[in-house]
Amino acid sequence: MPPSRAVWRRVALLFLVALTACVVAYLALAVPGAWFPRAEPKAWAVENLALTRGAGAIAEGELVVAAPDATGMTLVSVVTKFRSSDYPAVAWAAIGIPESADVRLLWSNDYAPQTLYSAPVPIEAGRPLPVLPTQDRGWIGSITGVALAIQGPLPQPVRIRGVVVKPLGALEVLGDRAREWLAFESWTGTSINTVAGGADVQSLPLPLLLAVAAALASAIAYLLRRFWPGLLPLPIAAMLAASFIAASLLLDARWTWNLGRQVQATAARFAGLSIRDRYLAGDDGPLYEFIEKARGLLPAAPARVFVLADAVYFRDRAAYHLYPHNVYFDPLSNAIPPASALRPGDWLVVYQRRGIQYNPAEERLRWDGGQSIAAELKLRDGLGALFVVE
Amino acid sequence: MIALVAGWLLPWALGAALVAALPHKGAHGARDGEIAWTLGSGWFAGAFLLTLWMRVLSAAGVPFGALAIAAPLSALAALAIGIAWRRPGRPATSLRPALRALAGADLAGWKRAAWLALLAWLALRFALLLGEVVWRPLYPWDAWTQWATKARVWYELKSMVPFVRATEWAQANGAAYYDAGPHYPGTVPLWQVWSSVLLGRWDDAPMNLPWWCTGVALTLAVFGFLRRMEFAPLPALAATWLVASMPILNVHIALAGYADLPMGAYVALATLAGLCWLQSRSPHDLVPAALFACALPLIKNPGKVWLALLLPGLVVALAPRYGLRIVAVAFAVAAAAFLVFAQTNLVLLGYQLHLTYDFPWRGLIDAYFTFANWHLLWYAVLAAAILGRRAALAPALAPLTVVVGGGLLFLLFGFAFTNARIWVEDQSTVNRATLHLAPLLFVWAILVFRAWARESGGAAHAGAPARG
Repeated sequence: MPPSRAVWRRVALLFLVALTACVVAYLALAVPGAWFPRAEPKAWAVENLALTRGAGAIAEGELVVAAPDATGMTLVSVVTKFRSSDYPAVAWAAIGIPESADVRLLWSNDYAPQTLYSAPVPIEAGRPLPVLPTQDRGWIGSITGVALAIQGPLPQPVRIRGVVVKPLGALEVLGDRAREWLAFESWTGTSINTVAGGADVQSLPLPLLLAVAAALASAIAYLLRRFWPGLLPLPIAAMLAASFIAASLLLDARWTWNLGRQVQATAARFAGLSIRDRYLAGDDGPLYEFIEKARGLLPAAPARVFVLADAVYFRDRAAYHLYPHNVYFDPLSNAIPPASALRPGDWLVVYQRRGIQYNPAEERLRWDGGQSIAAELKLRDGLGALFVVE
Repeated sequence: MIALVAGWLLPWALGAALVAALPHKGAHGARDGEIAWTLGSGWFAGAFLLTLWMRVLSAAGVPFGALAIAAPLSALAALAIGIAWRRPGRPATSLRPALRALAGADLAGWKRAAWLALLAWLALRFALLLGEVVWRPLYPWDAWTQWATKARVWYELKSMVPFVRATEWAQANGAAYYDAGPHYPGTVPLWQVWSSVLLGRWDDAPMNLPWWCTGVALTLAVFGFLRRMEFAPLPALAATWLVASMPILNVHIALAGYADLPMGAYVALATLAGLCWLQSRSPHDLVPAALFACALPLIKNPGKVWLALLLPGLVVALAPRYGLRIVAVAFAVAAAAFLVFAQTNLVLLGYQLHLTYDFPWRGLIDAYFTFANWHLLWYAVLAAAILGRRAALAPALAPLTVVVGGGLLFLLFGFAFTNARIWVEDQSTVNRATLHLAPLLFVWAILVFRAWARESGGAAHAGAPARG
């Protein structure tokens, strides 16, 4: 006889119980202090931050640190006043921190105001993870100031939005995890390779949690079936399949919701536009605008066109927009073909490429290694230029 | 846009008609899942045949054009439809029951509700994916450095002019073209060329419609296959939904333009059609299986390896008594050779045969188990491998297990012994390479789980009263 609706209800309930048990177990491991603290999180936004060492400025609600000081140190500090016992966690909101850098949280307290304490800050995907300095002997009394110290070069600007101290109660931990899972993951250049499933950095991956919950539900079902066979008159395989489907439904609901948000954003940006307007609205709109002008000057029949740009993205994109001309671009390195490879009638598209000089009086183009060739400038526009080899 | 849709319906109809027209033991369309299988596999047959015809046209010097491409295919489709129509139990007579089944009329109560909910869920997903395909200009990197580059040139010049490496390009005096992957096969770019011919212009968003069709057709084919393997409608749909909801698979539809999704779909279809043939021993399944297998090297270069990896499955299928032993010995010899190469510095004919073993555990665990790339695929594979270890090697499933096992070894070998390990650690290629096997892997896990469930269900029922 097929299982009744009541049996399936029990199966669903069992999965929920298993999921709850997994969440409670996680909280037992993750909550550092009281589960229901009275204190509220405290945040200091960018206007409260001081860039003590290094060079940078505030832009669009972020402190953008462009370079460290001469010793390679970047130091961002903020004056605070909170009871250390109420706030076991400090979380910096920042991105662009190199993973090779030595990053530390610094603080001082009112017991020993002249002493500076520190704890390492783990970096993942360029972001600092929350630090729990409660085990440190300096995390006592009132904390009178915190700072983020980054020792090492900054290959790209570090952007800091602020710092939050957290009581890290159970609800807050759960809220943080939920925000990580439900963070909008829009398309990026790496989306074709990997899907994070929400925020880039997640303390508890949702697939892992749900897989453990499904396994636990099946294990409980197995025990129930063994000791109280009347309670769940289902083969263990059915129970396992049901748990697996339930877990997959939750995962896919999150994924479909994210996809829906992405499609909404895509429609707002591109729907109803011509292909030209879509290119102009794309990430490389200015480049396309330049290539469009260059194409207007190129002959109608496909010509040999060499594309030069420092950034591989611009090199490859410019080439793509130039086809069906017979384009040459180096997809791997920023190298320029030797002058001997160029023939009269060949074209050169140069876009944001350093080290190329044009002498209009002599009509000669020079580049790396002292190479030169006779060429006529056909177009100079913004960040790009078009030449034809003579 | 109407021309685009109609133009792509042509190869789809051609493929479905050809599959339906092939001689079959028993009545056509009468079996469960036959319509879905025919429609699903028909897309893959038609889309591949289209590109073969375009290659012929190019070789014969006939410029690409709507008439030159569509007219012969239309004639062939009409012929195939005519043949299929005359077959006993022709597809048309099965359409009404299939539509009834689609509406869930054969189910009742919560099962019908679940059936309709899953269908709605799938419809929503493909509607969202279609929006991305038709609105977003070509987005992912390789799509515009090594795939659509060829499509653009071939569309504008109306012929498959050669793409060559940089050194050859420099000497070709303009007769050959260059891009970031000049040695890549032309099947996928030819799809984009056909789209552009239909649109009458270069538009790199809607030209990727075939990626969406590939997703839909794969979903249909998996459902049809599972029904043919005697899955009840609701479990078959739930399993199909699992396969179709893998995020990376969805991403490769939404951000169309790579060849990895077609690669994975053709690997799955070639194997599944082969499994159908093992049961039916009918040309109706053998010919598509052979066609899909032939397509593999023409989609992406690793297709040559995937084609070779089908052979051990064939050996096990054709020689069930000794096949597993032969394949086990072959795998053991290969594994021993890899171990020897890893421990030595042999040089043969000037080739350095040393292999450096360095398995990227962290990257692989992140890709398969931690991130959201695959939902719960890899947990399912682990569970199926552990629970169904005996069932997986039973004669009915052994050929599939061998193909899947060989595929996994191929992936793991690449990750452990080649510079592909870097692409695992930085998450750049690990999931794309895995997508070649993933749809088939999920089907394997589902079949093994079903086999284990049958075993354990019987045992459990036998044991329960004794304890009670």
